[in-house]
Amino acid sequence: MAKLRKTANGDAADPSSSHQPDSNHSRPATRLVNVVIPASERDVVKVNNANLVDLKNACDDILKRFLSRPELFKQIHTHTDVRLALGWASVLVAAGTAFYGWKVEFETSKPVVWAGLIVYFILSIAQTLYAYLVEKDIVFVGKRKTFDKRIVTERITITSNTAPSSSSKPPAYSLSATYVRTASGGKSLLGKGKAQAARGYNEFFDENGTMDQGRFETWVTEVVEQVMQEKTQ
Amino acid sequence: MFAEELKAFRRLGVRGILVQLLNFASVIASGLMMWKGLGLVTNTESPIVVVLSGSMEPAFYRGDLLFLTNPPNTPYRTGDITVYKIPGSPIPIVHRILEVRGVNRKSSKSKAAMAKEIVDDEKGAVLRAVENEPEVEQLLLTKGDNNPVDDIDLYNGLDWLERRHVVGKVRGFLPYVGYVTIAMNDFPKLKYLILGVLGLFALIQRE
Repeated sequence: MAKLRKTANGDAADPSSSHQPDSNHSRPATRLVNVVIPASERDVVKVNNANLVDLKNACDDILKRFLSRPELFKQIHTHTDVRLALGWASVLVAAGTAFYGWKVEFETSKPVVWAGLIVYFILSIAQTLYAYLVEKDIVFVGKRKTFDKRIVTERITITSNTAPSSSSKPPAYSLSATYVRTASGGKSLLGKGKAQAARGYNEFFDENGTMDQGRFETWVTEVVEQVMQEKTQ
Repeated sequence: MFAEELKAFRRLGVRGILVQLLNFASVIASGLMMWKGLGLVTNTESPIVVVLSGSMEPAFYRGDLLFLTNPPNTPYRTGDITVYKIPGSPIPIVHRILEVRGVNRKSSKSKAAMAKEIVDDEKGAVLRAVENEPEVEQLLLTKGDNNPVDDIDLYNGLDWLERRHVVGKVRGFLPYVGYVTIAMNDFPKLKYLILGVLGLFALIQRE
């Protein structure tokens, strides 16, 4: 396993730490990701560390920004786009119906307002069902094409949730990754992998709520490497 | 405080900003749709109104919230409390029905002439049965409980209220809650302040 160099967080004034990202080492069966981000590129992330939702959102954001770097994966925005399309469509239908009801007198406006209301409900239910059945906990879907005697497409899906605290453990960020490698346009399956890991939030956030992004990204890299190595042909 | 929020916005990107705006817009949209749905279900354009004057004391005081329905085929009866709007004046009035007349829509006589011929109390039972038929139209006279005279002066020239002027019948009320609306109408800056603060919170929060 190639060594990863950790850059200390907040080390912005260090001129010698302008590392170049290492190129990916390709081996026939597995790919290892090898990326180091200079500290000067980072924003300081500070959240309220009593708020679990904020903690999870901060981790999700850093994960998304890390994995969608050009040398790693290209993010697929399908889930977000569907949610945006359904949501904005329902908002526009609601606005149109309300405007019509305001302009036109009540009795004559009734059939159109009924129609608008029903369309709005259908869109809202569709949105909820999509979020509940299809999207669930997914935070990142990414794709990568590499060339290894043929064009290989890799697809990674990351879901995350917060494992609540118990009397012995702090609240934890639970990450699970699913990985698929296919060739020739998705028709032949080369390998699959699944991995799951959890770390307490206290490992990434200090008492002020400042996030140690380097440490988090290192851990994410480990999980992604782990899922890419399992069960390859 | 705002510098951090602005940085967070820049980090979100176009999609992220659209998602946050969508959260805000969908709250407003669902509120609008619930209001319209309530109006359709109760068959009235304004199912919840606020009492502005003291003309119905001691039943309703200024600042009470009233819940209205407008059942489509049920005739209104003496004693019902109705909210009506006279064409030409924008503010709806909430008063009690004093008299009811049922007149034949198809008759060639004028409504006023027909109304003079029918006396409500004597033929009450017959009239109520007849009122359900589509050719019979209801004419109403109202008066506020706390007013000394009936509402003829408020009718802008009409002798009787027609069914189509009535927004709905009062079914229930909540005291004092309407003062929020009265305050926002008397001090418009308060309305913008509240909306602005709510909007700011909705945009900054992330679920």
